[in-house]
Amino acid sequence: MKPSTNIKSPGFWRLGEPFVWLTGAAMALVLILAGGMLVVVAGNGLGVFWPARLEQFEMKDKTVLLGAVTQRSAVRNGVAHSRLQVKVGNRDLSGADFRWIDADAVARTSAPPDALLVERREFGDFHGFLVRSATAGGVDGLRADWLRVRAEFAGVAELGKAVSKINDRMEGIRRDLLRLRYRNAPESGSAIRGCLARQAELKVEFDRLVAGQTRSLEGLRRHTATFRDAAGREKEIPLTDIVRFCQPNILGVGGKAGWYLEKVWELFFAEPREANTEGGLFPAIMGTVMMVFLMSLFSFPLGVVTAVYLREYARDGWLVRVVRIAVNNLAGIPSIVYGIFGLGFFIYGVGSGLDRLFFPERLPTPTFGTGGILWASLTLALLTVPVVIVATEEALGAIPAGVRHASLALGATKLQTLLRVLLPMASPGIMTGFILAMARAAGEVAPLMITGVVKLAPAMPLDGNFPFFHVDRKFMHLGFHIYDIGFQSPNVEAAKPMVYVTTLLLLFIVLLMSSSAILLRNRMKKRYTLGSF
Amino acid sequence: MTPRVFQRNRRWDRLARWLISVGGVGVIGCVAVMLLLIVWMALPLFGKPHATEVVPAFTAPAGTPILAVGLDDNAEVGFTLGGDGFFQFLELRTGAVTARVPASPRAGKPGVKLTGVSAGRHLEYALAWDDGSWSLVRIAFRSSFETGRRQILHQVEILAEMPAAVTMPAGGAGQMRAGEKGGAVLVWLDPSGATFQVRRSVVKTDLLGNEETAMATYEIPVPAGSVTAFTVDLAGSTLYAGTADARLLRWNLGDDRAELLEQVRAFEDGRRITALGLVFGDVSLAVGDDRGGVSTWMPVALYGEGSSRRMELIHTLAAHASPVVEFPFVQSGKQLLSRSAAGLVRLDHMTSERKLLTLQGSQSLDAINISNRGDHLLALDRNGLLHLWDLDAPHAEISWKVLFGKVWYENYDRPALVWQSSAANDDAEPKFSFVPLIFGSLKATFYALFFAVPLALMGAIYTSQFTTPEVRGVVKPAVEIMAAVPSVVIGFLAALWLAPRVETAITGVFLFALILPVAFLLTLALWMAIRNTRLAKRVGRGFEFLPLIPVLILAGAAALALGPAVEKLLFAGDFKLWLFHTAGLRYDQRNSLIIAFALGFAVVPVIFTMAEDALSNVPNNLKAASLALGASRWQTVWRVILPSASPGVFAAVIIGFGRAVGETMIVLMATGNTPILDASPFNGMRTLSANIAVEIPEAPAGGTLFRLLFLSAVLLFLLTSVLNTAAELIRHRLRKKYGQF
Repeated sequence: MKPSTNIKSPGFWRLGEPFVWLTGAAMALVLILAGGMLVVVAGNGLGVFWPARLEQFEMKDKTVLLGAVTQRSAVRNGVAHSRLQVKVGNRDLSGADFRWIDADAVARTSAPPDALLVERREFGDFHGFLVRSATAGGVDGLRADWLRVRAEFAGVAELGKAVSKINDRMEGIRRDLLRLRYRNAPESGSAIRGCLARQAELKVEFDRLVAGQTRSLEGLRRHTATFRDAAGREKEIPLTDIVRFCQPNILGVGGKAGWYLEKVWELFFAEPREANTEGGLFPAIMGTVMMVFLMSLFSFPLGVVTAVYLREYARDGWLVRVVRIAVNNLAGIPSIVYGIFGLGFFIYGVGSGLDRLFFPERLPTPTFGTGGILWASLTLALLTVPVVIVATEEALGAIPAGVRHASLALGATKLQTLLRVLLPMASPGIMTGFILAMARAAGEVAPLMITGVVKLAPAMPLDGNFPFFHVDRKFMHLGFHIYDIGFQSPNVEAAKPMVYVTTLLLLFIVLLMSSSAILLRNRMKKRYTLGSF
Repeated sequence: MTPRVFQRNRRWDRLARWLISVGGVGVIGCVAVMLLLIVWMALPLFGKPHATEVVPAFTAPAGTPILAVGLDDNAEVGFTLGGDGFFQFLELRTGAVTARVPASPRAGKPGVKLTGVSAGRHLEYALAWDDGSWSLVRIAFRSSFETGRRQILHQVEILAEMPAAVTMPAGGAGQMRAGEKGGAVLVWLDPSGATFQVRRSVVKTDLLGNEETAMATYEIPVPAGSVTAFTVDLAGSTLYAGTADARLLRWNLGDDRAELLEQVRAFEDGRRITALGLVFGDVSLAVGDDRGGVSTWMPVALYGEGSSRRMELIHTLAAHASPVVEFPFVQSGKQLLSRSAAGLVRLDHMTSERKLLTLQGSQSLDAINISNRGDHLLALDRNGLLHLWDLDAPHAEISWKVLFGKVWYENYDRPALVWQSSAANDDAEPKFSFVPLIFGSLKATFYALFFAVPLALMGAIYTSQFTTPEVRGVVKPAVEIMAAVPSVVIGFLAALWLAPRVETAITGVFLFALILPVAFLLTLALWMAIRNTRLAKRVGRGFEFLPLIPVLILAGAAALALGPAVEKLLFAGDFKLWLFHTAGLRYDQRNSLIIAFALGFAVVPVIFTMAEDALSNVPNNLKAASLALGASRWQTVWRVILPSASPGVFAAVIIGFGRAVGETMIVLMATGNTPILDASPFNGMRTLSANIAVEIPEAPAGGTLFRLLFLSAVLLFLLTSVLNTAAELIRHRLRKKYGQF
């Protein structure tokens, strides 16, 4: 066929094919957006822990910088103009972690093989060269020294745990005393005297331990190594301050992978450092998990019961319509309104009431009358109920009526039918709802911000002290972590890698949960549509 | 099975039915409790103020005529100032006199009397002695726990003394203000009302630390009319006067002369000005007239920045029935206390123009004093009885007009709609207009929907009608997973990743909007040329989006690559500068374009999924019939499927609207949160939802701001609830129509 007849073909435009293409373009754009977001998060998040090459820039003005290139910009004010953003580290020496340099101003670039990347407990990374350590033998000697100090340091950390345990016990006694005095127990009575005696005992023990800890720390801090930065300034760093170090320019792929895995391990299981911009996410991960768990306890039963009511018990009528409208409203109310409701109802209403009833001796310091994991979970439970309802209803609705009739015809009561036949059959669908609700709760931030999330929780909701699960405690949360370090951190540029990593982690968790839920649901749909009765 | 088992089963069944029904209907309860609670928390904003007499009126300490009364912050200790120059302190709950303290060493001397007292700042009194000298004294209260029980201690502090001057005869009205280091200024009105006398004492310290007091006296002639009321601001630098022919005059009081700043005719209907007073903050002047009218005035630059300021009528408050006599000083907020000739006392709020309380004693009230926090008022009536009121006027600054109307705030040149909940100093006027916030919410929603609705609806049409079931089986879950992306992630990426990149490549973004249609048309033309080849046939129907994905990505890349060149060509290399110079618009990094994109991203999956459901729920036989009649697939969709599904599609848009209005984290992170009234796409906004998140941590529980935030939550609740209910009703109708669940 000749192409010319095709172009003149009257059908294409008149039949509206271009519009079909237009809609196709819209769908393509939606897919690109979704994919693009994943690429951005993964691209920025995955590479954070990979030790970057340290490049030495000898500038034309004779200054020397040692750092890793983090960003390149080609254009500024419409003029081609190449600039590099370099992470130079050494915040304590130069004041800023990051520097923008003009590519034109660089005289020579090299990658010195002996450049060291030292991760420190304070002031961020150090980039430079080893001058001397206690043991001769260069970097290997330093490593041997450092490993020895680290092992001793771990012992001191154990001491720290003992100190905090005593601290907890003293806090308990302080509360006992408060309660006793509130109840007007006689000051000279055995109860109060006993408390005071134990308090004094613990204080002695506490002071002894703290003194010992300080002494050993001082001793350990005497082990130092001297480094020099690219400009030649020397810096003495106590070995206890060094978290880890490597020579990225001569490190092999295996070594880099080891470094990477170590950092990932730290991310999952360590406490945050340096105003949350370094270290791990353990408390935030735990906080999120605890909160979601607690929320599930409240949200799931209510959601399933409502769905069962709507699908199995209620007769069609105005009441059902009102319930449906209520469910839809619940699903559509902005999350911040849930938050402010949680603040007004749970915290100031229920929480303050509990305080007045059970903890009057601690007032005006609130126990339940302030944000905490319990109130945050209850607020989110309300927010996620509609998700459970919708999924459960769908699952129950997919069960053919014949199944119910068969069960009832065999003499089972409605409850028996429900418990033994319908719910087991609907369980994959209900699970879907549960998972979706948990995913929603894990990603929600706005209501948590006003019902109990904090940037740095002093203690976790779950610990070894009675009653083990402290529902009145404030907690940390991955989503809030993103907001906090991305937007309220004093050093946004230095915090960015951590934000990307947190984002990647949160997105991974949420997407994993919701995609498995959606897959589960789709599979279940197929099961019933194929095997219809 | 035994009957016992059956019975037990039935019992359980009944119990379960009951429990499940309660649980199911409980959802209505949840929604109702939520609404009721947030309304309940917001309701006190509109509560009626009320005043209760704490103790029955009791007789004031006997003796000389009482010129002034006062009380401490807790309304436990009060005092009276007698004509003999002695303060008598008394316990307000019992009326017992506890101490008698001279106002000045002068007071004890025989024959010395006070001829007049004028109140200045809170518990500060200018005393005119009959020998022509003046004292400025202040009563200071403080709590002491020395005896184990709280005690209120009092002290009379002399702030300044002004010795008698020959030029200033005794009598007449005067006002005195403290200056630095014991200096003072005294403004005294001649009984004729035609001239003011000003005496200013300035204490100077020389290099050796010796203090020296310099005294300057000067006269201010009144240009026209006779002065019937005057007041001096707390700093003693501005003198306001009102005349019998309703003129308002304003002088700047210098060290040795006064400068007349302006005189305006306040009323044209023959009123006399009978009282002047300054509202706390010394910006607004309260004017009372002989017909009982109360209004506030302030100098404004009517013709913009830098033009001369002129007194303008700002607020007119409810009128008294008789002439206004005085405006006692109030230190709490922008409240205004006024006393009429009939002895009635009224409390109003200036900003909200609300009439709060009217107080009257058994006889006309003569001397009144309001406590520091504005919660108690002590008054002396003509029968010599002291009344102590507990004033409860919370949230007086709130009225519907303040929330939704234009209000002329202090230091503003015209009435405005402003949200500014906190200020650096105590005497600032809080500005609580919801309008910028509602506007911000609608602006964000509008821009987001502008981006999301076409995209989501067209995508839904394609997915449900044109593509193959296999593709649909992938795209739909993908979009649902997109819906699960936490908003904090979207907000973070929008603010910290996208916004800086869009800022540098803004021309490329606009270029993309131009290049995209061109690229699309080119692709169509190309497709027409090859559509009958084997390769094209293999791509086939239902996979049109596949070749479009690279086209879109290439178009985007091309736009970004060409952006700098175009920017250089059209905007002299800097679009932001060009925008500012040409259109006068400022470019903020976190602007509405970013919001359109980010919020759109959050809303697209919501609209997409629901619209797709509505479209694919249209019975297949309709589609089959249309196609059988020879309609093309687009014609079928446009004329048959879309009209049938339109209510559902509409419901999807409504739900998307609701989601966008209420979204918090994205707007909190990516808008900049400035409450401005500006529709420009190049700047941000503050939405109702983000406002709650921003302000609630700083709002003290039970305070005005706290309750206002609950009120804005009520607004959000009602808005989304109306939208969702409407959408649910529409979908219900649709379900009935097509007989599907």
